[in-house]
Amino acid sequence: MTPNLTLYIALGFYAAGTVMALVSLFTREMRTQHLGLGLMIAGWLSHTFWIGTICVRTGHPPLTNLPEAASFIAWTVFLAEMVLFFRYRVHAASFFVYPLVLMLLTVTAVVREPFAQMDPALRSGLFTTHVFLSTVGVAALLVGLAFTALAFVQDRALKSKQRGPLWEWIPSLDVCRTIGYHTLAVGFSIYTLGILAGILWSYRTTAELIDLRVKQIGGVVAWVLFAMLLQSFISGAYRARRTVVISACAFVAILIAMLGIHHV
Amino acid sequence: MSNALLLVGLNHRSAPVDVRERLNVSEEQQEGTLAEVKSLPGIDGAAMLSTCNRVETIVSATSEDVIESIVNWMSARGGVGRADLEKHLYILRYEDVMKHLFRVASGLDSMVMGEPQIGGQVRAAFLSAQRCQALDGMLERLFEETMRVAKKVRTETGIGEHAVSVPYAAVELARKIFGELRGLQALLLGAGEMSELTAEHLNTAGLKQIFVANRSHERAQQLAERFHGQAVTFEEIEPHLATCDIVIASTAAPHFVIEPAHVDRALHARKMRTLFLIDLSVPRNINPAIASIEGAYLYNIDDLQQVADANRELRSQKAEQAEMIVAREVDNFRRRLVTQDAVPTIVELQQALESIRSGELEKCLRRLGPITADQREAIEMLTTQMVNKILHYPILRLKDSNAEPHERESLRQTIRKIFGLR
Repeated sequence: MTPNLTLYIALGFYAAGTVMALVSLFTREMRTQHLGLGLMIAGWLSHTFWIGTICVRTGHPPLTNLPEAASFIAWTVFLAEMVLFFRYRVHAASFFVYPLVLMLLTVTAVVREPFAQMDPALRSGLFTTHVFLSTVGVAALLVGLAFTALAFVQDRALKSKQRGPLWEWIPSLDVCRTIGYHTLAVGFSIYTLGILAGILWSYRTTAELIDLRVKQIGGVVAWVLFAMLLQSFISGAYRARRTVVISACAFVAILIAMLGIHHV
Repeated sequence: MSNALLLVGLNHRSAPVDVRERLNVSEEQQEGTLAEVKSLPGIDGAAMLSTCNRVETIVSATSEDVIESIVNWMSARGGVGRADLEKHLYILRYEDVMKHLFRVASGLDSMVMGEPQIGGQVRAAFLSAQRCQALDGMLERLFEETMRVAKKVRTETGIGEHAVSVPYAAVELARKIFGELRGLQALLLGAGEMSELTAEHLNTAGLKQIFVANRSHERAQQLAERFHGQAVTFEEIEPHLATCDIVIASTAAPHFVIEPAHVDRALHARKMRTLFLIDLSVPRNINPAIASIEGAYLYNIDDLQQVADANRELRSQKAEQAEMIVAREVDNFRRRLVTQDAVPTIVELQQALESIRSGELEKCLRRLGPITADQREAIEMLTTQMVNKILHYPILRLKDSNAEPHERESLRQTIRKIFGLR
């Protein structure tokens, strides 16, 4: 992939937006936080333009290799963050989501791979469904993880009666829990459908249900961990430290699954 | 044309309550009072800001000479001797009036730093003066700007967002836990003054139902009626722990009324839905061991006081940010006012000189006879540039925002005289 100008512009805006958000954490200035959001939105628009360019050049969505998938996940994560921000005004999510988006797009810019024209043999609806659902599912799960982290931080602050630097920026515990639970539930459902579509496609093309490579193992481990996380929300045990460990492991597993993506 | 923007007033820092109450202007008295101020000679516009903490008369006038008559009028109105009144009064001029009003509306001059009610009171004073047609252009712009700045300060600093009293700190914490309080249920144990106040604030925030348990069932019923709630006996406490989201304890019992086992069972019945317990009693009524149970948040009176103190400290920090915004906005507003005031004179000046230039040019061209278009353009350019150069310094001086208002007015009059403007 040859990263072009709009990708670098998007990366620049994301970097500036992330820095602004982190600065607002210390200065406690709403204006700085809003400036950060504005820069991130500018980056996202440029990012959208870049994705559109790839679609035009390759004739399909940019989902065929690691840089493209990372970029699309970053794009979807920020879209979800924007929707949630305008609905719930959760400023604190920016401290988790912006760096994540920046990190994912940095992967896209750093890992240079040529624009992948999809193998005609892979141009099946099932494959596209698998890749699309898995990517969107992962994006929703990452947003869910960010809100789970916020709920945990808020719970600890309330329990210890010590306000951390995030206290002012985090909404109520119930809002964090509700958004965390809903995004995890939606993300998990979509991700599950994506995995099922992948298994079906694998079976149709290779007559095997699953191919035990890093990508697949990481994906399945992440699925199990997210199922456990979801269960802890349902049972009310999301406040326990165990949830943080599961969340961290799920995040790592998702990253491993993503890093395992090569040309298909 | 108003040359002076003045504020004569007193507040909780400069005057005791017995002086403030004598000068206080009630809502019904606003119209008559404003008419009286406006009728004083030399006053173009007037507004009154009267709250329990301050009484201030804000006027735009032809000169500062009106201060005397305003002080006399206030002295007569309040029945306070002039010498006595002067000890408590502050008199502000032009830029200081802007700064003062911006600070007042933002809550920076309030007894409780950042309190939000004052913003509404300034707005009410503006609307009242507007209704009575007591405002001139200058005051109208000043009040509009004041409300814009106050909103900006509150939005950008969040200075009024944090509770600085124990009951409000409890409400703030409840909001941090549950978000929206509408639809939640609370259980009030005992009928201490602080717990009543806390329950009242929570109730105002939209609780669905309040249950009251007290040693005297009659008192419990009285309280329950007040909150449109329900009185329960002490034996019914445990089942209510399972259905209520907030528990406020303030009984005189010398022992724990709620134990960890009660909360454990309640949380199990609530399917781990969060429970917020507020213990306002001394000796404590809720076993502190409950604080370690997941899903239960326990705050005692000291914890809430610490929250209120921390918020007070936070407001002070935010006040520094707010002061910077106010200073910046005063400067911007002053510059805008100066430019706006200078515009009519500048326009007239430009028109007068342009009229001279074009008239003289025509005469000259008639004498010259036929010339080419290029030559005409060159002459046009020459004369236009001459006029622009002549006007450059007068316009610059007219727009000089650093000059005192009376200096600017004097300059304006001088320029008008020199150039023969009406």
